[in-house]
Amino acid sequence: MNKIDYKKYTRFERARIVGARAIQIAMGAPVLLENAGSNPIEIALNELKAGVIPITVKRDRKV
Amino acid sequence: MKKSLYLLNVCGLSMYKKCVLYDTVRVPPTELGEDIEISVSRALREKLEGRIDRHLGMIVSILDIVEIGDGHILFGDGAVYYDTTFEALVFQPVLQEVIDGIVVEVVEFGAFVSIGPMDGLLHISQITSDFMSYDSKKARLVAKDTKLSISEGDKVRVRVVALSLNERDPRESKIGLTMRQVGLGKYEHLEEERKKEEVA
Repeated sequence: MNKIDYKKYTRFERARIVGARAIQIAMGAPVLLENAGSNPIEIALNELKAGVIPITVKRDRKV
Repeated sequence: MKKSLYLLNVCGLSMYKKCVLYDTVRVPPTELGEDIEISVSRALREKLEGRIDRHLGMIVSILDIVEIGDGHILFGDGAVYYDTTFEALVFQPVLQEVIDGIVVEVVEFGAFVSIGPMDGLLHISQITSDFMSYDSKKARLVAKDTKLSISEGDKVRVRVVALSLNERDPRESKIGLTMRQVGLGKYEHLEEERKKEEVA
């Protein structure tokens, strides 16, 4: 899985990634950084800034 | 997302089949740090083993993971959903099939015969053409004229004559069996008949 580049995504995509990652952390997923913060959203934001979140965006999907 | 649980390939013709199946499976967030293959196969086992599908039969065991596709993240759930191709052992009883089984329980109206992962009912009227009565003390069924009796632990050869598989509640599935045909019955009686034929 590719690690994400902060600049690669739009602000909407970044919001979705942080949201998805925050709920994973809130539900007990292992945290990828040390001293990343105290609540899930803060941790997710720090992980995004560090570029360690293993989530990618699929843009070509037509529903 | 593609339709849930569908068949890609079958190997084997009788009641046990090795199938290549495709399904989407949910991996909870607590297992995200672990090896994907291990958590996917665990999730598949929890989801599918013991489940009955009308067309496939009963999924007995997940044998091997063939391919794990990209994971999907859905709104409002921290879990990851993987599209997975895997091999599974499937048990499908077929009408008119002759099966060897063991009597596991005897009740007033007949006997339950274990034919693998499921039990079938051998109704009292399908045991012999003789009149049979229930002996509640010894928990067995005894024939009136011949000395045939059926009790727990007997090995029998039976034929599947009725099938009603329930997808929602596998325990409610019913398999009807018969012993009233040539070549069917208790092992001991089959042995006797074979010896008689050899003498004649």
